[in-house]
Amino acid sequence: MKAFARRMIGIDRRIIFLLIAAATLLPLLKPFGLPIKVSPEVKAVYDYIEKLPERSVFLISFDFDPSSKPELEPQAVALLRHAFRKNLRVIGMTHWLTGTGLADGVFSNAAAEYGKVRGKDFVFLGWSPGAGALIISMGQDLYTAFPSDYSKTPTLGMPVLEGVRNLRDVNYMVSLAAGSSGIEMWYVFGKDKYRFEMAGGATGVIAPGLYPFLRSGQINGLIGGLQGAAEYETLIGQKGTAVAGMDAQSATHMVIIVLVILCNVFYFALRGEKGRPA
Amino acid sequence: MIFLKRQLPLAITFIMGIAFALQYYIPHPVSEEAITSVSKWMQIISGFALLLGVASLFHVHAVKIKRQVPGWGYSLVLYLGIVITILVGFWGKGEVRVDGAQTAFGWLYDYMMVPLQGTMFSILAFFIASAAYRAFRARSREASVLLIAAVIVMMGRVPLGQFLLPWTWDVTQWLLNVMNSAVRRAILIGVSMGSVALSLKIILGIERSYLGGGKEQ
Repeated sequence: MKAFARRMIGIDRRIIFLLIAAATLLPLLKPFGLPIKVSPEVKAVYDYIEKLPERSVFLISFDFDPSSKPELEPQAVALLRHAFRKNLRVIGMTHWLTGTGLADGVFSNAAAEYGKVRGKDFVFLGWSPGAGALIISMGQDLYTAFPSDYSKTPTLGMPVLEGVRNLRDVNYMVSLAAGSSGIEMWYVFGKDKYRFEMAGGATGVIAPGLYPFLRSGQINGLIGGLQGAAEYETLIGQKGTAVAGMDAQSATHMVIIVLVILCNVFYFALRGEKGRPA
Repeated sequence: MIFLKRQLPLAITFIMGIAFALQYYIPHPVSEEAITSVSKWMQIISGFALLLGVASLFHVHAVKIKRQVPGWGYSLVLYLGIVITILVGFWGKGEVRVDGAQTAFGWLYDYMMVPLQGTMFSILAFFIASAAYRAFRARSREASVLLIAAVIVMMGRVPLGQFLLPWTWDVTQWLLNVMNSAVRRAILIGVSMGSVALSLKIILGIERSYLGGGKEQ
């Protein structure tokens, strides 16, 4: 037993890589389609958007780049589909320069699905430097912060921005964040001073760190990782890449759990043996 | 010169620090106008910071290539990547699409940057699994608690785990909302108090390392 445990504890990591690859690929090829449970924090975002009157102003900040695309793009797509279906006026922007092209693509595709017109129903402002300073600038005067949108059309006089002067005129805001220059910054420099309601969408890695903001009411909802995106897709009744990806995530989680249990079994089998790490 | 390098930045920091800490509490039009102007300035300075970053990156990797230090080939790839992207960007006037058609700059973004960044991040899953197998051991009571909590959360956050052990969903929600929130809140309060203390030290000129330089500071 000890010889086997010794061999197994030093197993070639390429075998683990193969197991993870198989656990990711097989469910994508043959999904098992288990039901998705919806958490209260995701439901809160959905409910708030659901209650907004038509033509309300919804601001979505794409604070991520392509490295977080698998988790945050499905969240963005689900939120945009919901907002366009509710006929809200949608303003998009990003604090991450490298995410600009990605955000514009997501915006354009979701808008095309619902026949929404750029400048009338939605606007993508693009990126501008400053991070926190940019939020303050938007809070003071949106047209100074973004004199033109991503397609270089002047923002002043755009029908989608009618009656919008600054962040105080935003009815709801969601920051989809993969790190700093994201949800916390939007709260500190934006919501705290300019008093708009906001929620967050985050990668699975940073979502647990945002629960204190959720519990204190600083954000009214939180969409966490691919699971959060899958929950939102379930709520709007349009299953997309997040629901499809959850089977792969389920399988990889199970593989990692089995590996951790096995590693501990072997560890206990070898504990006390001379020369073995304690 | 010492005035320009030392006293003047300290005076600007002190005046701006005090003024804009107070500004938050004064909703007067003059105060609002001041924050509007300063936020514009801050945006402009941030733009220059980006240029400085690119210039610094160029410098660091140029030195590596010149001295042919180990791994200089990677620096060369990075250098070429930056130069080609900048040239293509200027050539296409920074446009990703023109009349619905993708430009060369847009192609570089969609077919180089997006897959490369995606690949970098997805590799993490493999390394995390391997690291978990080798390091996630119940060596102590604290490590055992962490291990059990991690396994429950990993089960409770995916549909298969919720299907096999339905109670993990509720326990996961409790762990995230109560235990995790309490610990994170404590860390946040500590970090925030540290930030306030550091800001005060900078405003009052006690902390001067941001001025750079050596002994003469």
